[in-house]
Amino acid sequence: MKRCTIFMIDDLQAMGMQQLLNASFDIQALIVHSIDDLYMVADIDIVFTDAITFTTHLKYFLPRQSRTIIITPQAVKGDSSVNIIHYSSIEELKASLIKFFQHEPVTTSGTSTLLSQREIDVLRLVVSGHINKEIADVLNISINTVLTHRKNITTKLGIKSVSGLSFYAMMNGIIAPQ
Amino acid sequence: MNKLIDLDTKVSDIVVHYPATVTVLNRFGIRLGVGDKTVGKICEEHHINACFFSAILNTFINKDYFPEKILDGFSAKEIVDYLRKTNSYYEHYQLPNIERHFQFLIGKSRPQNNNLELMLKFFHEMKQELLNRIAYDREYRFPELLSQATGNSFERDNDEQDTIEDKIDDLISMIVIHLQGDYDANLGYAVLIAIISLKKDITQNNRIRNRIMRPMHHAMLQQN
Repeated sequence: MKRCTIFMIDDLQAMGMQQLLNASFDIQALIVHSIDDLYMVADIDIVFTDAITFTTHLKYFLPRQSRTIIITPQAVKGDSSVNIIHYSSIEELKASLIKFFQHEPVTTSGTSTLLSQREIDVLRLVVSGHINKEIADVLNISINTVLTHRKNITTKLGIKSVSGLSFYAMMNGIIAPQ
Repeated sequence: MNKLIDLDTKVSDIVVHYPATVTVLNRFGIRLGVGDKTVGKICEEHHINACFFSAILNTFINKDYFPEKILDGFSAKEIVDYLRKTNSYYEHYQLPNIERHFQFLIGKSRPQNNNLELMLKFFHEMKQELLNRIAYDREYRFPELLSQATGNSFERDNDEQDTIEDKIDDLISMIVIHLQGDYDANLGYAVLIAIISLKKDITQNNRIRNRIMRPMHHAMLQQN
């Protein structure tokens, strides 16, 4: 069973989405009303959101791009690494969701299971050019903890050069492609 | 085949046990179809310094081998000629070959698979570093070694090698561990095998750089 959360600017749209997931896919999705609440939800497989909410909270969504689905009534041209479902009717939305769940583009071998949230935070700072001391200060942890996170990141990803880590971060939506 | 290569070792045995040595033979102008000739015989026929040839092969194959009597056994010209051919092989064959396979792979993959394009971009970054090292060899290190000049071009060597090898390792990990989406499996394997082959060759030739070229330069400095 997928652990789905819905965070949308329009409460009615969120409730409709919740109903649809329940009725058609037997998924009990949780609706959250603020970004703080979203941060508090642990172990999310998929977040359904809308384009405005996505762009308003890029800091949250970019690192979790592979687990995010944007539901939008308008056709959107954009980054192909973002999952976008465009619909003009409920039937079309349902059909797209069936296709989506069948193909399962949301990977479980991506960032979600490989790196913890703290490791993602460290990785983002490393590839932004911060030295260990700065990372420790920003995240309010010791330098030894930073070093442990870095070692774990390299072990988990098999990537050790900063340049290689940058490309990994771009590939997984942790930082925006340059 | 665990013993060291000497003048009596059959060349065919070397290639059968260590197929990667084909590239070394090629750099010495030795083509396949070696018959049952020994290292000594084939070197005589090709006017190659057998001592240098066996030192290169032993260093290439064996990570624990350190050649002795570097200055007495062979000349700066011999090692520079060999490394020039090695660089040329990277520049004109291996790098373009990987790039060509990468382009085919991207061309045959779904347009949504932008991971591959980022990997190609990372490959370009690594390629540029290798080309920079080759250019630096050509303009500074090799002339310094040949003229026995006392410059500082060798101080840069170690840092760069590590970076290039690290990046190739990272690229291999990206493909093996992190490749996602739809792609042509055969072309994916072809890219991976070409990169692994380059990595192996660079690692083996870095041993030749570190155990023959650099000690030779160091010994020359001490003699001067």
